[in-house]
Order: sequence, then structure tokens, then C-alpha cells
Amino acid sequence: MILRALWLRPTVSRPLRFLATVAGVAIGVAAVVSTLLASRAAVASLGADVEVVAGQAALEVRRPGGVDPAVLGDLRELAGEALIAPVVEDVAHVPALGDLARVLGVDVLVDDGVRAVELDFGERDPQEALDAWLLGRGVALSRGLAAELGAAPGDALEVLVRARPVALDVVAVFAPERFASAWDRVLLVDLSTAQELFARGPRLDRLELRPRTAWDPDAFAARVAERLPDGYRVAPASARRAEGERLVRALEFNLTALSGVSLLVGVVLVATTLATSIVQRRRAIALLRSLGASRAQLARAVLVEAAAIGTLGGLAGVAAGWGGARAALAGVRTTVATVAPEALAGDVRLEPRWLLLGLACGLLASLAAALLPLREALRVPPVQGLRQQLAAGPARREHARRALLLAALAAGAVLFARLPPLEDRPIWALLSSLLVLSTLLVLSAPLIDLVARLHPVHGALGGRIATSVRVAQAAVSAGRRRAAWAAAAVGVAVGLAVAMATMVGSFRTTVVEWTEQAMRSDLFVRPLPTSTGVAAGGIDGEVVAIAGELFGPEALDPFRATTAYVDDRPVALAGAAFGTVSGRGGVPFLDGRPSHEVFAEAARTGGAVVNEPFARRFGVGPGDSFELETAAGRVRRDVVGVYRDYSGHTGRVVLDREDYLGLFPDDGILSLAVYLPDAADVAAARAQLAAALAGRFAVEVLSNREIRGEVLAVFERTFAVTVALQLLAAAVAGLAVITVLGALVRERRGELAVLRTLGGSAGQVLGVVLGQALLLGAAGALGGLLVGLVMGYVLVVVVNLQSFGWTLQFVPPWGSLAATVGLVVPACLLAGLVPAMAALRQTPLEELRELG
Amino acid sequence: MTGTRTPRHPARTTPDGVASPPRAAAPAVVLLEDVHRRYSNGRVSVQALEGVSLTVRAGEFVALVGPSGCGKSTLLNLISAVDRPDAGRVVVCGTDLAAAREADLTRLRRRSIGVVFQAFHLMPNLTASENVALPLALDGRRDDARVARLLDRVGLGARGDHYPSELSGGEQQRVAIARALANGPHLVVADEPTGNLDSHTGVEILDLLGELHRAEGTALVVATHDDRVAARADTVCALRDGRLAGTPAG
Repeated sequence: MILRALWLRPTVSRPLRFLATVAGVAIGVAAVVSTLLASRAAVASLGADVEVVAGQAALEVRRPGGVDPAVLGDLRELAGEALIAPVVEDVAHVPALGDLARVLGVDVLVDDGVRAVELDFGERDPQEALDAWLLGRGVALSRGLAAELGAAPGDALEVLVRARPVALDVVAVFAPERFASAWDRVLLVDLSTAQELFARGPRLDRLELRPRTAWDPDAFAARVAERLPDGYRVAPASARRAEGERLVRALEFNLTALSGVSLLVGVVLVATTLATSIVQRRRAIALLRSLGASRAQLARAVLVEAAAIGTLGGLAGVAAGWGGARAALAGVRTTVATVAPEALAGDVRLEPRWLLLGLACGLLASLAAALLPLREALRVPPVQGLRQQLAAGPARREHARRALLLAALAAGAVLFARLPPLEDRPIWALLSSLLVLSTLLVLSAPLIDLVARLHPVHGALGGRIATSVRVAQAAVSAGRRRAAWAAAAVGVAVGLAVAMATMVGSFRTTVVEWTEQAMRSDLFVRPLPTSTGVAAGGIDGEVVAIAGELFGPEALDPFRATTAYVDDRPVALAGAAFGTVSGRGGVPFLDGRPSHEVFAEAARTGGAVVNEPFARRFGVGPGDSFELETAAGRVRRDVVGVYRDYSGHTGRVVLDREDYLGLFPDDGILSLAVYLPDAADVAAARAQLAAALAGRFAVEVLSNREIRGEVLAVFERTFAVTVALQLLAAAVAGLAVITVLGALVRERRGELAVLRTLGGSAGQVLGVVLGQALLLGAAGALGGLLVGLVMGYVLVVVVNLQSFGWTLQFVPPWGSLAATVGLVVPACLLAGLVPAMAALRQTPLEELRELG
Repeated sequence: MTGTRTPRHPARTTPDGVASPPRAAAPAVVLLEDVHRRYSNGRVSVQALEGVSLTVRAGEFVALVGPSGCGKSTLLNLISAVDRPDAGRVVVCGTDLAAAREADLTRLRRRSIGVVFQAFHLMPNLTASENVALPLALDGRRDDARVARLLDRVGLGARGDHYPSELSGGEQQRVAIARALANGPHLVVADEPTGNLDSHTGVEILDLLGELHRAEGTALVVATHDDRVAARADTVCALRDGRLAGTPAG
């Protein structure tokens, strides 16, 4: 009870500091939880929703390019054992939602056994509704979606299919049995309606198999496989979910790692606060040691305080993260669209596991942060030994120990940076950057010694200022352990900001150069984006026909893409007009060969060009070949060139249009690039094309500058979080300085009182305290700048390459870095004003009397 | 007697006539044999104690006197088990400091030694009674009656709920004395207990210390510059340049 009071009362008497620390943890946890929640929601259609919407289907039969309905006949013998439901699935833009929705085409007569969806026709005549469902363009909506749209049976619903407006007839609503939100972005239509809307012809996307009796799934899958023609795959329904999750896993990991940085900042804040709190209670701890307190009792007290901060921060962080996820969903969707454009968003769901995750993050971060302060607490001698210890300066042995530790950290960082990624995740490389960052903990004390010994300062300043600075240097030097904490906190904050700025700056420079080289088309046509900025679903072939009439087919490069498989792993397979691109495109190739030469060779030899992520993932380069699983079966293609691609990190293979159409005869067009003659009036051509498409297609016609601007806008949105991180880092630096400087001033108040008694002016006392703030800020900024640049290098050259497969130039944005350091030092001075004013309020004689 | 230790009042009686315990027959609470202690601070090295031998028996009141820097505090640190000798032997309440583990020393301080400081060193966030109860709490014990009794005996029975900032210097030192006795220690160590007090209060505190040490039967070792303290001690040990130098003049 008394021991608890001993630790609780100072916390209660300084609630703001405690709350600020809890807020630091909460912000970190919130960033992680909101990123995870938002990214899970943004790709709901690739994750758990796959299985929810798949209902009771246990197995799925699929093939690149679609399933031939004749396969149903091949599987007829198994119909007694399993219900076989054909499915066509695609996405459409629902303008009333401002979002994409999954269009699920099913055979309602057999599908009932798979999804158990019971249609409610409302006041509509059931026969008339069923006719509309089967013969017209009928659609059934979940109750949640109907409510969101304000639609009821009998209403019309406009959707954009391949950018063409289509009116669907709402014939029924249904109440899903469970996980209702998974159905809130699903339009249920008849199989034939889906085939007609998406120009599938007779093809199906998959067959879903549900057992009628107890069965052995593996044995049954083998029997299904025996009856299937070549090129077909039979797999559990959950495999599609796993595939979808694999697709976005790396991206999710990177987003989470990025948000994890804010947790790291939280850790620094907790560590600084706990360390300062221990410094402030140093006499109390020393006295407890004298009275017989064991190390275990002291450790328990520190860890309980850390656990309390972590628990409260974790809980608050989950709540804030849930709110943040809803706000961030649109931004994350845009980012995800670079990987999986047709992934649908779901609801942000707060499940108990997220609460546990948030709590675990908060607790672990806090306890990890407590380790060094704990060491500090356990090193406090009994009160009788305090004076001797305070007088001790850095011993030679300490320098040797620091040098050894620094060498070990550097060696570890180099070693980790050279290790390959773990399952596509740059875990070792991130650990390497953490090791680089942690060198600040070792470097901060020598940096404090350095700034405390800077003699040239004296000569350059006037006598009075020099006195203040000298006293400040002495104070910082005397309290070097505390000062080292503050410098480390400022350094970590600056280091993270510098590393982020370096990474984003390098990335931006590379992307700007790349867009200028690679994006050469004069006009670009794409589907109208949703309100969240996702332009997916493709465009109708007629758009290409209209553009062809205006500009000639040789000016067009319709971009087609679908999913094919290499080594059983999905890749994006695209078709492009090599003839057109070779004449105009400036696509940058890794080996530096001119774009026209590579495309001309690819067109001539029937080879493929692949992007850098593909080349790295499959270990291929020019001259190598690879096998591609397509609708036309397995084909082998030679790699003619590897091009730089910063538009996504999925592996992409580009074939000539004719070659592509031979493998995937009638797959849709995603976008259209138009190359005009050199002397053409681009604005007029754009207006002409827009006018020809207006009213018939919901598309955007963008100029070259606009599409490049769009790419950069996506880029900026993706990294918007880094701006927030920079602000957070500056706030933490400020808080750290206020906390630690407050402690230093309290500790050295005797000296300040003596200074006042000896005739020191208020200005000089102010100068002493602000001088300390300046020295702490300068030491931290110097360390942070150095460490941040090294960390930025690891992020740019190793982490990016491992997670995205991108080679980036290392371009530190010196202006931005100078601004960061130039802001942090004044911020530290500003933060120093709080303890400086407190020092001025002291009455010297009272202070001296109190201190004896 | 060992070394240069000098008994001042071999057959002392208390003012109320109660005889003090027979010293020679009492067991040794503190035993120092040829103790050396050197401190290094960067390039400067100081020999704080050099060949000190000393025995303090149960119930004995020993005053350590000598000029600043003579090694009083170093000797007190050894006796109160917060430091270890470089050479020689220090046995406190049966525990040999050189051989003891850190946890043993912690337990020794917690259960067998009470400390009174010149600057009181009360916990500012705890009330007077909580401060007195602190050593018990550290040992996982609670004895409200003993705490109340000790506060009564130091004359602060009515002020148990007051925080240190609400007490005068003399009152704070009374609380510190009650705290030192809370665990029923065999040995109380006091470092200049009157150093921060005015002369009148200092006398009061000395009376109280003497009275409680006799009543509780604890050994009392006090480091002091104050002649009044030395005058009350059973034995006075004078330190000079880290060596025991005999009884001070006068």
C-alpha cells in the first residue's frame, strides 16, 4: 500500500506528464491498429470475405482465362456426391455508392445449396420478379446494401460496367445469415446476366463444389482433377483467400512497418519519461535502497508504471485506431489499388483480436521502453553513495565499452542488411535500420561530452553570454546521464524524420524521372474513378473503336491485363501495342538499352518484357525464358528486357497485343493510351475524344501532364503518413526536451540559486537554461542527422528493393533535411522556455536554505 | 576495546537511573578488522580508510569524530552495509560484508540497521506515519500499532497524517528517528543527526536518540562534529586521515 502510494502519488501530482506519455503510446498503437484495420478493410474482398461469400463451397475449379461450361459435363458423374455451382464474378462501379461492388453471377436454382441466400421480393409479384431475374437484368441486394442505397424491389440501380452505364432492376433483397457486412458490396445477378454484362460469352469464372455427404476433401479433389482437362486447377475455396492475401501481404507489411515507426516514437517518449521520472526520484530510490528495498522491489515499481502506461495507451490506441481506420480507409484503398485494383472495401470491423493486438503493442512497447530506465534505477546507489557517484565523470572503461557496443551494432546492421527477405518481407533489413537507430543510445553520451567541451563558442560570444553558455555546458556535463537521454530522444525523433524524408525524397525523385521517361502518351483514357480515387473495372471495347476512328488504330495502345501463372504464382499479364510503344515510348530499361530497340526486338521475336519486381522474384533477366500458364495452355516466352516499374510491386509480364490476344482471346481492356503526331493539337484532340465518348461512357480523358500528376498524387497520398510521422517526431523531441530539461533544472537549482545570489541577472539564468536546451537540441540533431541518413540509405537501397523489387536512387533531400534540423533546434529552445520560466520563479535564498 | 577506541563512560547510568547494558559481556554488533578503503575518481585516488579496527557491542553508543574528509562517512557507509572494504574484514550483525551477496546486504539493511541522516531524507510524498511504516512495508510487513507507538515516543503522535513539508526540521528528524527504529534494528547509524538543526532542537534530538537507544537496546553509531554528541557517547572514536587516532583532546 505504502509502496504503491510512493510511486502513484508523484504520478497523480503530475498528471499531465503521465497523460502525455500515455498519449504517446496511444498514438503509436493507433497508427498500427488503424493501418491494419484499414488495409484489411480495403482488401476485404481478397481476405475473409472470400470465404463468407463462398458460403459452404469446399472446393473450386478454375483456369486462367475462365472455365469452359463443357467441364460441367465432365464432372456430371460426381453430381451425386457434390453440388456443383457455376459462378461468374467481376466488379462494377456503383456511382450511388461512390464505390466498386462485386457482381456475383450465380445459377439461383443450384446456388441455393451453396450460399443459402433467401430472396425476398417485397411487394413484387414473385413470378414477375423471377422473370426479371432470369430474363431481364435483375439484381438482388443484401438488406444492408439496399438500406445504404435506399433501394427496394422494383427500383432501378445504375452501375458502370466496363465504364458503360447499365440499369439493373432490383428484384429482391436478402438477409445474409452471418457476416452481413461481407455482402454489403455484392450485387447478386443471374449467371447469364453476368456473362452478358462482362462479355464473357459462355465462359464461367469458376465452379464451386459443395459436398452432399461426408467426404475426404483431398481424395475428392483428386477425383475431380482426374476428370478435368489440362490447365484446370482444383483447390479449396480458402486457397483463393490465401492467394488474395499473399497479393497484398507485402504491401500490408510495409504499411504496418511504416505505422510501426510511430510506435517506435511512442517507445522513445515512454523511455524518456520513465528515465526522467527515475532521475527525479533518484533520491527517493537511493533512500529506499538505504532502507533495504531490494532490486526486485524497485524493478517491480518501474515495470508496473510502464505496464500501466502501456495498458492505458493500448486501450486508448485501439479506440483511436478504429476511428483512424475509418478516416484512412479511402487513402489506403488508393494505395492498395496499385497492387490489386479490383479489391473491394469492406467495413472497418473491430474484433476482440484487434483489442488484444493493441494492448499487446502498447504493453510491449512500454515494457521495452522501460528496460533502459530500469537499468538506470537499479544502478542508483544507496543515498550515502549518491554524492560520490554524481562526482564521477566518464571513465576510460566506459568509452571502450561504448566503442565496442557501437562496433557490434554497426556489424549487426551490416549483417542484417545483407540477409535476403523472409517470405518477401524485408524483416532483416528493417531490423538493420533499427540497429542503426539504436546506435543513438550509445552515441548520445559522447555527443553530450562533445557539445559540453566546445571551447570555440566562448571566443565568439560576448562575456555575459559566454558565462551563461559555460554554466550551461557545465550543467549539461554534470548531468550527462540525463542529458544523454534527452539527446537520444531528440536524436531518435530527428533520425526518424531524416530517414523518412530521405526515403520519400529518393523515391519521389526516382518516380518523377520515371514518369517523365515512361509516360509518353499524349492522352490517356481510363474508367471514371470512384469517390476513393480507384479507377478499376476496365473500359468497353467500343471506346477503343471510337478513338480508332478519330486518330487511327496505329496511334492507340489499348492496355489489357489479366492474371496468369508462373511457377504456380499469379502474375499480371498485360498486352500492349509494341509497334506503337516502340515508336514513342521511353520506357527505361534496367540495362540502359533504348526503349525502341527493346520493343522492336520483342515484337520481332515474340518475346516478353517484364518489370523489375518480376525479374527479381523469378530470378530472370534478358536472354532467360520462363513458362506462362494461360487460357491457351502453357507457353514459354523469352525475356527481351527488364523495365523499371514503380506503379506497383506485383510481377508483370508484357506481351505484344497480338500475342496476348492469342493467349487470352477476349479479355477486357483496362485503359487506353493515345499517341498523337508531333504537331497535333493535344487539347483539341482531347476535347474531340471526350465529346465523342460523352454520355455513352463514364471515362476520364487525361492529358500527359494530368496522368503524371495522378501518379505523383497517388504517391503523395501513400506517403502522406510520413508527414504525420515527421510532426509526431518533432512533438516528441519537444516533449523530451521539456521533460528532461525540467528534471535537469530541478537537479541543478542550487547552482542557479547561487548564480542569482552572486549577481547573475534573470537574463543570465534564462541563458543558462536555454543554453542547456540548445546544447541538448544540437547534440540530438547532429546525432539524428547522421543516423537518419544511414537509416535512410538502408530503407532506400535495401528495404525498398526487398519489399517492392524497385531499384531507387539514393537522393537525400538536403533542403528538407536542413529545414528539419533547423526546426528542431529552435523547437528545443522553445521547449526550454518552460523549465527556464520555472527557474526564474525560484527565490534564490529559499532554494539555498532548502538545499542546505 | 580494539584499536584506538576509547570508552568514556564505562559505568554510565541514564538520567532516570536505569543502568546501561554491560558492554564487555554484550555480543559484537559491528566488527572491523584492519579495514582499508580507497576511492578513485578519474586520475585522483584517495585513501579514505587505512587499517581501521573497531568493535561496537549491543547497546553501545559510539561517537565517530574528526575533521571533514577524515573518513567518517566512509566508515559509516561500511557499518551501514552500503559499501564494502577493499581489504580487511567488516562484520555487521553477523554478516561478513565481503562475502555477502547483494541480496544479503539488502536484507541486512532492511532488518537489522536503522539509519538517520543529517538531511532527514523523508519521502516527501508520504505522510509522517507512512514514512515510519516504510521499512516495514519494504519487508512485506505492516504494524500500525508499532508505528503509532514510535510516533508517540518521538512526540509526534498527533501529527502522523502530516507530510514532511508540513513539519519543522526538528520534527522531520524525529520522524526519521522513528523510521530508523521501525524494524527493531540491532544497530542505528546516524550521520550528523543534529547538523541541520538549531542548537535547542539539536539537544532535544540528542536526548531522544539516547533515550530510544537505551530503551530499545540497540547499538548506536553517530558520526558528528558536535561535542555535545561526543559527550553523551559511551565510546568516542577519533578519525584522522583515515586512521583511528584515539580520544580527542578535552
